[in-house]
Amino acid sequence: MLQSFVDGLLVGSILSLGAIGLTMVMHMLRFANFSHAELLSIGAYAALVFDGLFAALAPVLTVKLAPLSVTAALALAFLVSMGVTAVSAVAIDRLVFRRIRARGEELSMVFASFGVALIVRSVIGLTFGLHPQLYSREIVFAIVVSRDPLLLIKPDQVAVLVAAVAIMGVLHLVLSRTTFGFALRAVAENPQLAQVNGVNLRRMIASVWLIGGALAAAAGVFYAINNQMSPVMGRDLVLPIFAATIVGGIGSIYGALLGGFVVGLASSFALMLLPSGYSPAVPFLIIIAVLVLRPHGLFGEARA
Amino acid sequence: MARMNRGMAAALALGLAGMGSAAAAQDCTTRIGAVFPTSVDWGQPIAATAQWVVDQVNEAGGAAGCRIQMVLRDDQLDPRVGVDAARALVDLEGVQLLLGTVASGISMPILTSVTVPAGVMQMSCCSSATSFTRLAEEGGTNGLWFRTFATTGVQAAVGVKVAQDQGWESVTILYKNDDWGQDIGRIIAGYFRAAGIEVKAQVAINDGQPSYRAEVVQALGSQPDALYLALYPLEGTAVVREWLSLGGTQNMIVANSLKSEEFRSNVGMQFLGSTFGTDTASPRADSADAFVDRYRARFGADPSGPGLANSYDAAMIALLAMEAAGPGARGADIAAAVARVTDPDGTPITADGEGFAAAREVFAAGGSVMYQGATGNVRFDANGDVSAPAVIWAFAEDGIAELEYLALEEVDAFIAALN
Amino acid sequence: MMGVLSYVVFFTTVASILAIATLGLNLHWGNTGLFNGGVVAFFGAGAYATLILGAAPQPGQMGGFALVWPLALMGGLGVAGLMAWAVGVLTLRLRHDYLAIATFGAAVAFENLVRNAQWLSGGAQGVRGFSRPLYAAVGDPLLWNTGFLVLTLSLLAAVYLFLRRLVRSPFGRLLRAIREDETAARSLGKRPSRVRLAAFVTGAVIMGLAGGLYGTFYAFVSPQDVLPVLTFQIWAMLIVGGAGNMRGAVLGAFLIWAAWTASGFLLSRFAPVEWQLYTGSIQFILIGSVIVGMLLWRPQGLIPERLVVSQSGRTPT
Repeated sequence: MLQSFVDGLLVGSILSLGAIGLTMVMHMLRFANFSHAELLSIGAYAALVFDGLFAALAPVLTVKLAPLSVTAALALAFLVSMGVTAVSAVAIDRLVFRRIRARGEELSMVFASFGVALIVRSVIGLTFGLHPQLYSREIVFAIVVSRDPLLLIKPDQVAVLVAAVAIMGVLHLVLSRTTFGFALRAVAENPQLAQVNGVNLRRMIASVWLIGGALAAAAGVFYAINNQMSPVMGRDLVLPIFAATIVGGIGSIYGALLGGFVVGLASSFALMLLPSGYSPAVPFLIIIAVLVLRPHGLFGEARA
Repeated sequence: MARMNRGMAAALALGLAGMGSAAAAQDCTTRIGAVFPTSVDWGQPIAATAQWVVDQVNEAGGAAGCRIQMVLRDDQLDPRVGVDAARALVDLEGVQLLLGTVASGISMPILTSVTVPAGVMQMSCCSSATSFTRLAEEGGTNGLWFRTFATTGVQAAVGVKVAQDQGWESVTILYKNDDWGQDIGRIIAGYFRAAGIEVKAQVAINDGQPSYRAEVVQALGSQPDALYLALYPLEGTAVVREWLSLGGTQNMIVANSLKSEEFRSNVGMQFLGSTFGTDTASPRADSADAFVDRYRARFGADPSGPGLANSYDAAMIALLAMEAAGPGARGADIAAAVARVTDPDGTPITADGEGFAAAREVFAAGGSVMYQGATGNVRFDANGDVSAPAVIWAFAEDGIAELEYLALEEVDAFIAALN
Repeated sequence: MMGVLSYVVFFTTVASILAIATLGLNLHWGNTGLFNGGVVAFFGAGAYATLILGAAPQPGQMGGFALVWPLALMGGLGVAGLMAWAVGVLTLRLRHDYLAIATFGAAVAFENLVRNAQWLSGGAQGVRGFSRPLYAAVGDPLLWNTGFLVLTLSLLAAVYLFLRRLVRSPFGRLLRAIREDETAARSLGKRPSRVRLAAFVTGAVIMGLAGGLYGTFYAFVSPQDVLPVLTFQIWAMLIVGGAGNMRGAVLGAFLIWAAWTASGFLLSRFAPVEWQLYTGSIQFILIGSVIVGMLLWRPQGLIPERLVVSQSGRTPT
């Protein structure tokens, strides 16, 4: 039970990072972006490429940051990949979504996002191969914190959780203490009024994609460290991330944060209630349950 | 692994270029159809293996006097797409022989909607559902259906033998939640219990889940002596890495689907010392090794992943039958000729181009051959199923090591003792 | 020649079945504004129920009622409608992105159920024992396929006419009123939630009909048939064809299915040999590009919605 709780926190933190970016995009740009989870794939694979590059260029970087399985090269690659993914997100918006936004309605954008997701997934598959890949083959053993009740924790897990919370903390500070943060929130609530006050809408939209992309990259790399990466990881993560966004309420960043943990914990505890064959359905049963009680998600608001 | 893809592509290109310089004049082309899930990681090698067989046959002069062209379609693991592809192959390309597919849920509608109504022979490497046996027993396949996938009971029985030999008294089963996995999980659970081994838990592993930690923790909680894994490399690697990192036992029995280079290298030899695998086998270690060696020579890597040996045999037997049936043969004729390829009293032949050429001579003289392939001396029963001898294997530094071979009679006796 | 005929009959049957499902979705989205992300659940319910009711008894599997086919099909429609009622009651008041995910979740739950509940649906092996109605009597497969095609086209026409009547009826006007201005409609005493539920169930029954025909045509259904990709395909058909109008829905169905199958065929015929192993991935890139391209070029669909005017503007003289 305690083990399930801890595991749920880990999965949840990754989902939260993905959901925060998604909820910002969904709220600001008013469409359900099914290609958001592909940004996690891009982030993970970009980090793989740069990890290899840095390791080859400067072998001193292959030292492991004990007790993790993460090398210094990977840590650097992680930062670079956040940048790369952020830029990719903006690029995809420029190439596809912005044009459709100008001409079509919301449904077209949802569909376009499906199309983009298919394309990104297939391109990654053709480039890197369809099989799963790892940053490091080593299996890092969990530390037995206690045997009864069963509690096993891997150092990687703790690091990822701490890093995710730290990133979310930084985001919170930016949103609540900086002018940029205020501008972002203003644009989310009322774009016209924000523009009246001199906020540059285009730049804000680009910022939303940059932040969403960077967070998604972080989520992708953390996921790949704790599991593995494959071209279909986006497809497998998109629905839990959506579930997290919906549960939290579209547009609420803190809702997305909480929603991620709710979905992660629910998936973790699900096996205590249902046979394992049914576990894919659990995030959705959670969503339906939450939405029946609160039709706009936990923190969402009715939108005009 | 990118090297493997390039190797495969180069092999394909080489093969088809090489066809132009085949010794025997082949001025006609016979098309055969192939439907495989090529957009999935484990599906590409299965298709590449079938194409490799076609290339070897063409180098040996083609089948029934004509060059063979394999028209490959992807089924995208979607029955609508797979059936439409089969329909196009039969109606528009005019194939009399269809190789395919892997998922039973797609092979079945292809069989009932396309190949049986059109009288086309269908040979599957990898569809495992017992419903095909029942359909054949009811007369629904018209003798047109064959599969080189040994009935699941064989693997399950051998898996139990491993546990018995190792003295493991309790097992937890982790099975892939599809038709194959559900089948083998159910059958082996029954066999374990019949053998007096406790089945502590049976955990379904669903495709495409981001994390299997909850399932692994549940299995861990059952505290078995050993794990039984009926999984494919993608989820198998994730599950086993998770299991080991949480301190789970290293005693594992794996099905042949995990006979995979990817699995071995991503888990690591240091943890696979107590892992035993089951598979169907060839009676002479030579034939199995020969397949592995030739595969390595062709593709630059070991045959790794589910269904490759089966795919090889499926394609080779089908083309041999085509040769035996002669020019202009329809699907039913080719199907009827399969018995001449897998005759236990026939001339033994090897599973390569030379074997094909030798078989051609034998067929021309009215005789029959005994095919010795990558999965053994294949012999189909009246329902198109194969029983096969079995082998217990383990991972070794440079590939796979065969530990024990069980002849068909031994396997049958073992199953009888369990029932 | 016979081969081409046989393939055309087959293709048209499948496309027509998908067109029926697309019409059902058009009722949901085009007429009622409901973003149904779980199309495959109602389609699958129709398929599974029809086959379970119509199959001969099988060991270890529920069903085997061996009902005569029209009754089995009716049963399929009924189950689809019942499921829609249950899902609708829970979720229809949600805003449409939420509704999409909730209905999607219902579809995932349905697929999980038929995959795991072996006693109910045969599990991952699917439903066995169903034989096509009159197949043995007719004898020739091509003849039977042609007959079934005629039946399917008739049903497609029937659904089309039914929906056209519906849209022009007072109920149709009510749907439009609720879609355009719900508050006004409520002020006139209409009950939007009831109306939406009725439309949702009707559309789902139509999807169930498509599913029942599908199961009958293949004489087999398994969890592999009820994966989310079908929802995506039906939506693509509606979007590309033109949401909100029925000719667009049917056209979109034929076009998208033709694109999906032709891309595979053309790649296997004309792609260079080195690419043959990768045609699967290439096909997905093509399909994704077609969809994105269509949306960039003609976001309103090939046949845009035409506002239905129920009364001409001329005053009687």
